[in-house]
Amino acid sequence: MKPLRHVLLLMLLLCASLGCTAGEVVVVVSAKSTVSRLSQDEVIDIFLGRHREYPGGQAAIPIDQPKGSYTRGEFYRLLTNKTLSEINAYWARLHFSGKASPPRQAEKPADVLVHVLESTSGIGYIDQDQLDARFRVVLKLPP
Amino acid sequence: MMKRLPSTKIQGVFGLCLGLLLVSNSQGQTPDLPASPELLKIRGFGTLGLARSSSDNAEYVRDLSQPQGLTTNWSAKIDSVLGVQANLSMGEHTEAVIQALSRYRYNGSYGPEISWAFIRHDFTPDFQVRAGRLGTEFYMLADSRLIGYSNLTIRPPPDFFVPLVFSNFDGADLSIGSKFASGLLRFKLFYGRSPESTPFYGPVSWNLQGSRLHGGHLDYFSGPWQFRISHSIVRFSSEEIPLNALVAPYFSPFPAPDITTLFPELSTIGKTATFDSAGVIYDDGPLRLQAMYGRIRHESRSYQDSWSAFAIASYRFGDFRPYLGYSTVKSAQQALSSPIPPPLVAVVNQMQEIPHMDRHTITLGTRWDFQENLALKAQLDLVRGPSQAMMSFRGANMEWNGRMQVFSLSLDFAF
Repeated sequence: MKPLRHVLLLMLLLCASLGCTAGEVVVVVSAKSTVSRLSQDEVIDIFLGRHREYPGGQAAIPIDQPKGSYTRGEFYRLLTNKTLSEINAYWARLHFSGKASPPRQAEKPADVLVHVLESTSGIGYIDQDQLDARFRVVLKLPP
Repeated sequence: MMKRLPSTKIQGVFGLCLGLLLVSNSQGQTPDLPASPELLKIRGFGTLGLARSSSDNAEYVRDLSQPQGLTTNWSAKIDSVLGVQANLSMGEHTEAVIQALSRYRYNGSYGPEISWAFIRHDFTPDFQVRAGRLGTEFYMLADSRLIGYSNLTIRPPPDFFVPLVFSNFDGADLSIGSKFASGLLRFKLFYGRSPESTPFYGPVSWNLQGSRLHGGHLDYFSGPWQFRISHSIVRFSSEEIPLNALVAPYFSPFPAPDITTLFPELSTIGKTATFDSAGVIYDDGPLRLQAMYGRIRHESRSYQDSWSAFAIASYRFGDFRPYLGYSTVKSAQQALSSPIPPPLVAVVNQMQEIPHMDRHTITLGTRWDFQENLALKAQLDLVRGPSQAMMSFRGANMEWNGRMQVFSLSLDFAF
């Protein structure tokens, strides 16, 4: 049993160093939604509060992964080529000048799934590994 | 001589917000929507800034709302700010916001002021109306110029912002957005009255309360590009510009004549100042470029028409974002059309030179995002101009040669 444990530990370490947790980040809505695809600019508009509407005119309600989550940093980096500090500075400007507010922030990753499934307005981003038939991918952000 | 904001007005704004808090408790959230966001959010921002200049012959200010500026001693006066904001959700589409701010003010105090207090209602995601006390947005990013954490440089380019003494107004604005071509178009209109005063000369301040502010702007966002054109008008209220305080020393020990009665062109009552600007931002990952052009036209001959421009380039390297900027402001003197009686020629000529602006600045610095919601900045400004162009400084004396360096450090935060 001991060698197996060592191999597992080694695999885990390798995995962590290679960033195995960093699968493809996918932007999802509920499978019941009529939205089939979104462009990168449309997702930017929704998550940066510029235009929170789907192409058909329905309101879009985004949710962010929890503070400190790896997926969150990856999502903004891949979507906007911005660091989280820059995203925070962007929101500080809008928040303290009384304009749009940032997306609601999930307390745990599972909250994102609940939010997206709860209403056809909801939109979130998750690691591809978390996908199942209840969700529809509207944009893929390859690493 | 100094005037404070009437406390009744502040109490009124507080009362309004307290009322909002009470009303909001009776409002529920729409049940079929995802879990409601928190009802009350309290957040804040601030800057601890330290700066000094290389000259004691003229004081460098952030803008002309500051009665005194920097000398060769390090000072936290001109850039330090602390703000606290409460956002109260009043249902799915309505929000009440109040923001209190402490900064160096027109009367030399740091007394807290209510910088924002309004209700916002989103009729659709693209059509919103706000009413209450709002920040002025004469220029792109102007309504967030005190939020150091959201800005690249320690202060907005003073050559551009120095004449802008209006921070907020009591009134309303409406904003309409729409998809257009490959981007987003947004149009905003505002109307209101100024609740502010501004320092004028020495300890004398000028009460601008009641002055009417209105205007609008058009934004276009497309990919990394953002464009804006804006047009704003201030119509000065019934308190005359305190020019008499300025001319009094020339006549001392005799009483000075009422200069705005003698020369009605100098009067500001009912006259307008028009602010026009065009700006562009290119923001693509590590590279960020920003440029703006502005023009101010005055009906009153107490001020000179001016134009200003700036450009800033920055590039991100890891957590550092160094920047390089250039800005300039110039104004043109306009002679009075009415004849000046010989004994007054010297005084009037000198008075007409006071509002002259002619200056350019090279800015070098870096922002360092060393921790979440914390940024350190260091900046050097090389300010150059003819010595007789004193308007953009405070307390310039005869030794002033028109050149100075400004050294600045800041810690900006948001919480």
